[in-house]
Amino acid sequence: MSDLVLAIETSCDETAAAVVEGRVIRSNVIASQADLHAVYGGVVPEVAARHHLTTVNAVVDEALDRAGVDLVEVDRIAVTRRPGLIGALLVGVATAKALAYAARKDLVMADHLHGHVAACWLDPVALDPPFVALTASGGHTRLDLVEDYAHPVLLGQTLDDAAGEAIDKGARLLGIPYPGGPGLEALAAQGDPTTYDFPVGLRSRGPDDLDFSYAGVKTALLYATRELGDDGVADHRADLAASYQEAIVRPLADRLMRAADSAGVPAVSIGGGVAANGRLRALVQEGAERRGLRVAIPDRALCTDNAAMIAAAAHFTPAIAWPAFVGEDAMATAPPGGIAA
Amino acid sequence: MTTFALDTATPDPALALVGPDGIIAEAWLGRTSGGGRRVLESAHHLLAMAGISVDALDEVVVGVGPGGFTGIRIGIATALGLGQALAIPVHGASTLEALALGAAVARRSSDELVAPVIDARRRQVFAAVYAVEGEGHLHEVLAPAAWDPDDLARALDGHAPVVMAGDGADLVPPCSGCRRAAPGPLDRVRAADLVARVRAGGPLPVAPEYLRLPDAEENRLRREREAAAT
Ligand SMILES: [Zn+2]
Repeated sequence: MSDLVLAIETSCDETAAAVVEGRVIRSNVIASQADLHAVYGGVVPEVAARHHLTTVNAVVDEALDRAGVDLVEVDRIAVTRRPGLIGALLVGVATAKALAYAARKDLVMADHLHGHVAACWLDPVALDPPFVALTASGGHTRLDLVEDYAHPVLLGQTLDDAAGEAIDKGARLLGIPYPGGPGLEALAAQGDPTTYDFPVGLRSRGPDDLDFSYAGVKTALLYATRELGDDGVADHRADLAASYQEAIVRPLADRLMRAADSAGVPAVSIGGGVAANGRLRALVQEGAERRGLRVAIPDRALCTDNAAMIAAAAHFTPAIAWPAFVGEDAMATAPPGGIAA
Repeated sequence: MTTFALDTATPDPALALVGPDGIIAEAWLGRTSGGGRRVLESAHHLLAMAGISVDALDEVVVGVGPGGFTGIRIGIATALGLGQALAIPVHGASTLEALALGAAVARRSSDELVAPVIDARRRQVFAAVYAVEGEGHLHEVLAPAAWDPDDLARALDGHAPVVMAGDGADLVPPCSGCRRAAPGPLDRVRAADLVARVRAGGPLPVAPEYLRLPDAEENRLRREREAAAT
């Protein structure tokens, strides 16, 4: 069976389209808006939605072009329906619905979080279940048990800020421009992570708890910088960055390992923008080696928001036949429990 | 030549199929439709009702606003998606100009000007003033802009007589030289009028007419101005 999917993703600040055939990525085009949002210090929903509209058709064209595929050859079209910024999602959904309607293709309404997990299904990572997936980005932080790609089961998630959001906010307090991830990591590499004992969220909840909390660590950094004053912060920036980063990524690695232990799976995966963090990768590798677990980390372009992962999720999500999808809609939030295929 | 026209910039989204001999079918989504999110569903029903296959469309005309930002984007994204998949041209038309053609029918005399007025929220309206010059032709007297309703009433007084149409007209305080078109078909955007505007005045680029910056950008510019002033 031929399985050529054109996927579109516009849930946040990347306008993305991809052509995927089975597990093989034929093209994966991402137009990032990060520079546009940098002047605001974070993603502005209205700015994101405006930019998606001016970019999405060209991104789709380029994805088809690079794959050497004509729209008529595509078997199905997939689009991110949720969760995300509603104005941004609506641009992708309206575009995908119109394309599918006019081209008489079936449409898959995919879940963005499902996409982050399903990215590991794609070549060359091609991870087969069972495994525990950590997804950490500016918008989400969660652990899923994947025994079947169609139905990941939520094990734990952040109760407040996302890990990437905490990184961006901390970077800002240390005078690192948005997006703060790479800058914070570079600074942290020159510091000592044991200098400051920033609180690890939900430490008191016991070893079985797999949720996360990052509101406290951000506040702790704020107080520490106030106490040190401008000169003190300037003298201790690297140690502050290293200790802060540690307080964010160590719980991610620890809980991922704990989840893998209790689920008894042979592999773990990390995805989302925070998966690019070298310290997180090192901690996960270290823990996995000790346990003899396989660690799957897709390429950076597959970890940050992209459309190839939406095509992967679409592989495990029932398609809606032409033209029954014309009334389908975008949704800002995921249903309770998270991923729904 | 079959043209599909749609406008989702106002809370009363409209669509139409227009053939060489005039309107084939037209519909409105109704006021509870949520920014035109159901426009493709309505388009599908309209095509089915008219017995026209989507592949038979030759052209798409879309209202580019001004109006609700989300609605404008849904309309344009839908139009561009259809155009991309069918490899047919997509043309833009002004939502205010289409509304002006409705108001034109409500004129009491040929020298009466028309003012389409769209609720812009936050106690503002999007409005323009036109002189009507024959079938589908408009001459711009006041360019489209976001107005404080009181300021608009004063401006309209200076151009009396003027007839207003559109949901924003209810927000404009009474003025001696202006009146409101009777609520009804002339008071809402009619998608076929978008096509009339393209035929008479040429197409606009398929780019949103927001007429207002995103709040974050507005705030950023204000902070920049304040910083420059101190
Ligand atoms: Zn994401």
